[in-house]
Amino acid sequence: MKFVSIHDLLKQYLEEGRIKVDKSIHHELTTYHDPCNYARKSERAFGHGYYEEPRWVVQQCCEHFVDMYPNRANNYCCGAGGGAWASPYVEERIFYGRVKAKQIKDTGAKLLIAPCHNCRDQIMKSLRKEYDFMDVEVKYLWELVADSLIIEPREEAEEEE
Amino acid sequence: MEPLLLTKRERRKLASQYAELCLTCGTCAGGCPVTGVDGLDVRKVVRLAVLGLDQEVVDSKFPWVCTLCGRCEYACPMNIDLLKLLRSARSMRDRDKVPGVLHKGVEMCLKTGNNVGIPEEDFRYLLEDLAAELAEELPGFEVPIDRKGAKYLFTINSKEPFAEPEDMMFWWRILYAANESWTVASKNWEGVNWGLFTGDDAAMKEIVGRIVQNYKELECEYLVLPE
Repeated sequence: MKFVSIHDLLKQYLEEGRIKVDKSIHHELTTYHDPCNYARKSERAFGHGYYEEPRWVVQQCCEHFVDMYPNRANNYCCGAGGGAWASPYVEERIFYGRVKAKQIKDTGAKLLIAPCHNCRDQIMKSLRKEYDFMDVEVKYLWELVADSLIIEPREEAEEEE
Repeated sequence: MEPLLLTKRERRKLASQYAELCLTCGTCAGGCPVTGVDGLDVRKVVRLAVLGLDQEVVDSKFPWVCTLCGRCEYACPMNIDLLKLLRSARSMRDRDKVPGVLHKGVEMCLKTGNNVGIPEEDFRYLLEDLAAELAEELPGFEVPIDRKGAKYLFTINSKEPFAEPEDMMFWWRILYAANESWTVASKNWEGVNWGLFTGDDAAMKEIVGRIVQNYKELECEYLVLPE
């Protein structure tokens, strides 16, 4: 049985030229959130943490990039992992997220990329409001890629081949 | 006086052999954003476990406000399996005392194939409807459901068809642009396994097994879990 990570798949599409992106669409300063599962925990469980692949993908789609501090294996959790987004401990979840909120605000970035549903929801729907950074836009990694695509619509006939 | 052998304590199920190695340095707790919540922190949880005070840990909310992010474990100088300890505390909770909707989601997934109970016909209708909408912009676009021999089998986060269906189009645009061979299963397409969070290994295994079954029956080459 073979698996492929979304990071490897997106990177492969870009490297092989199967998709083309226009980075001038995203000119604002952009930062990247390392989700625990793709980064630190993937390194621990599978021997490879996805640190560099998503950063490379982001930088194909954005002109200006800045890392949070700390990052990669030492990155802070968004505060909603491990099921916390769906748990009733809302106050604790927001309290947890204060560290992430500060990390994001300290970068000065106006666009944040998160390749995890949970992290994206916590940051976009909760932390931005609670810690006053509604001016920072939040996107999934694949949303960023989709928004940057230069798509050449296929002819219907070509589809039949 | 007989020495008290902690390892022989009957009730002690939570602490692994590694927990014995704890130096009580507090590196784990020092770098954790929820240290102090509920009067506990990772270091204290290890102490409670080593002393056999399992029930105190299981009954506390700390293992649930901890997000199992693994930063403590990454930093631990003695390489103690802290995540396993914390998740085991979740496993040892009675299922009817699992906080919030998590266990209900697990039960729903076992029963219906996804965490929110979307029926198959509704799922198919939604995908076809959205695909038709996207095809107006991208000629020839379709969502291949149960396409045998597709290269990639994608799972779906039930949150999207349930509440944010248009977000599925991000991937769809990419797959269209790449002219990729892919498919979605009509049953057991849920990519979010809440058994991981509730410490329910049996449910987790069952849910993963169903995805593997889809992968085999549809004769796909790769499995992609965009979670």
